[in-house]
Amino acid sequence: MSNHNPETERVERPYTESSVIMTTVRVVAPFVFTYGLFVMFHGASSSGGGFQGGAIVAAMVLMLAFAFGIEPTQRWFKNTAIVLLATGGVLAFLFIGVGPLLLDGTFLEYSAYGFKKAPKYGIEGVELGIGAIVASVISGLFFAIARGFEYTEGQQ
Amino acid sequence: MSLLAWSAVALVVVGLFFTIVAAVGLIRLPDLYTRAHATSKADTLGTLLTLAGVAVVFQSGVPRIKLGLLAVFMLITTPTATHAITRAAHDQGIAPWVLGGDEE
Repeated sequence: MSNHNPETERVERPYTESSVIMTTVRVVAPFVFTYGLFVMFHGASSSGGGFQGGAIVAAMVLMLAFAFGIEPTQRWFKNTAIVLLATGGVLAFLFIGVGPLLLDGTFLEYSAYGFKKAPKYGIEGVELGIGAIVASVISGLFFAIARGFEYTEGQQ
Repeated sequence: MSLLAWSAVALVVVGLFFTIVAAVGLIRLPDLYTRAHATSKADTLGTLLTLAGVAVVFQSGVPRIKLGLLAVFMLITTPTATHAITRAAHDQGIAPWVLGGDEE
């Protein structure tokens, strides 16, 4: 980069989207989102879990951003949605984990609410909540970093 | 060992050979484009052959279906990732290595 003329380096070329990347991402996206959910739900019985599944879902959001541009992706996955997902995950964990304490149970006592098959659904609820937190926070951080770069470039 | 086991071992060994070729190409070749060329092709083939070897070992249906899906997605995504990397490099104006060009 150092042997480039700084003036030609500043030229803002319009980014032309690659049809190969866009097609691949469009084909793969539903499968990866499904796979993320699959990994989250598998945390109860086998390898997997909320963190891994959330990371997979967030990676797909990043891939969408790389393929279609960060701005359109953020218009699709709004900041309010990110915050709502993260808050919903925390609330789900509080409901399942701390809620039983209020009903004279212990921390994460799944059967305290009296649902059928409580441990299974309790663990899956916790995993789903963690997955929502991880996915939304990773994509939120990515969007924040992307915005930061644009800001410093505008300042120069 | 039975014929099935031997064919599985042979598939995995050939797959490992191509993966090693990809690793050697990544280390030995001069610039980004040639390295991407070596790794994307050889690594995809190596992964697919290794997955085929694993699919031979599993006798039941469900793991084979999962392995088939994995192979399909590896076949789609690995070349696409390489395409994305080299395209971004070309977009940034990184010059390809040429014979007799100035080496750094």
